Amino acid sequence: MKTIPVYDPRGVVETEPMTTAPRVKTLRGLRLGFLDNTKWNANKLLRGVRDRLTEKHAFGTVSYYRKESFSRSASADLIRAIAAENDVVVTAIGD
Amino acid sequence: MTPAAVQQTPTDAASVPEGTDLTEWYYSRGYSDGLPLVPPTPSKIAAVIGALGGDAEHALARVPPRWGSLTREVLAINMVMAGCLPEYAPIVEAAILALCDTSFNLNGVQATTHMACPLLVVNGPIRTRIGMNAGCNVFGSGNRANATIGRAIRLILLNVGGGWPGLLDKSTLGHPGKYTYCIAENEEASPFAPYHVDKGYAAEDSSVFVIAAEPPHSVTNHFANDAEGVLDSLCSAMSTICNNNAVSAGHCAVVLGPEHAATIAKSGWRRNDIRHYLWAHSGNRWGDLYGNGRYGKVYNRNLPIWYKREPDARTPVVPSPDNIHVFVAGGEAGRFSAFIPGWGHMSTPVLRGVGGAQPSGDAQCVDGTCLL
Repeated sequence: MKTIPVYDPRGVVETEPMTTAPRVKTLRGLRLGFLDNTKWNANKLLRGVRDRLTEKHAFGTVSYYRKESFSRSASADLIRAIAAENDVVVTAIGD
Repeated sequence: MTPAAVQQTPTDAASVPEGTDLTEWYYSRGYSDGLPLVPPTPSKIAAVIGALGGDAEHALARVPPRWGSLTREVLAINMVMAGCLPEYAPIVEAAILALCDTSFNLNGVQATTHMACPLLVVNGPIRTRIGMNAGCNVFGSGNRANATIGRAIRLILLNVGGGWPGLLDKSTLGHPGKYTYCIAENEEASPFAPYHVDKGYAAEDSSVFVIAAEPPHSVTNHFANDAEGVLDSLCSAMSTICNNNAVSAGHCAVVLGPEHAATIAKSGWRRNDIRHYLWAHSGNRWGDLYGNGRYGKVYNRNLPIWYKREPDARTPVVPSPDNIHVFVAGGEAGRFSAFIPGWGHMSTPVLRGVGGAQPSGDAQCVDGTCLL
């Protein structure tokens, strides 16, 4: 049977398998971080979550970080700092 | 898309029995923007790769948010599917490289809930060489180069970038420019230096300007016979509280119809005067932007820190006259221009030379205005 070629226009995606971080069993004494993506209402949402969490749990430290722009990835320096200074991190958008 | 399909390279693509309805086959694969695709053939793909300099596997970019690898072969496949001729290749290549420049933030442009999408404006001799339309109905249909260059970019954003509606493209409304949004500046009808010359390129260079943009908003003015009268109408169109610049700053574009451009030039005004006037006399009252306090005090961190946040303060549409990109395009008759809001500070427009052309370091003086 004669055939004709057909083409895939999508290009290859190169991926690297990654695993998720191990889940924590308790929050007591952990360093808690918040990453605010700077959308209009993200700070209200995240501060509310922070207040509720800190009422219930005794964290070691609580830190708050902001991205430069809600639409851009956090800078490598910021991600490094968050990773070094925290055990668990909460992030959210608030449109 | 399935993981298996993602791993499939174009060169591994299957064959189908002769006689297969290729239009329907490509539809069934989900590679289309909604319109029929031109089925690629080995010779058509090879012609485009040749126009790009050969080497099918040469990597040009990774296109977000899917981050697919765009090789010359993949670019060629999408161009052929869009209906492009090989001689359009240098423009499509320059455009996609401009879009993948980090400052453009294509990842955000593709994924945003806003309707913005890339607008391409082509300058220089390649426009006429390939027969682009810079005249009547410049934003509309009827010209192969304009239509298929813009469509090729859209197909790449869909297929390689994965910007499929509802999947990675979360735009609430989108806009018709998401099929194709590509024009050329009407340098021949313009009384001003071409846009790229204004930015330091030689007139014999060609360039592509890309901006994340809303659709054009028509600006009619059939009564003014001087620069201020025409530009005041543009200022009015710019000064709405709900275009994305109003609340997110960034950059915008203005397209002057040739009749308006001639009237403005008759007053002795140049492109630089135009953008300064537009900046100085457009804007919104801060209180109007946020319901005059009805919902409490609003700061809006997405606007520059130096904007005065008081009810009666003037809020500029964009932070600087340099963020207003002025072009001349359209037909010879009709007193119309257009305001094209941008997406906001999240994306910076990019101007890129076609075929690697670079601006000269010393060409900073244009139309009697020198930038320091």
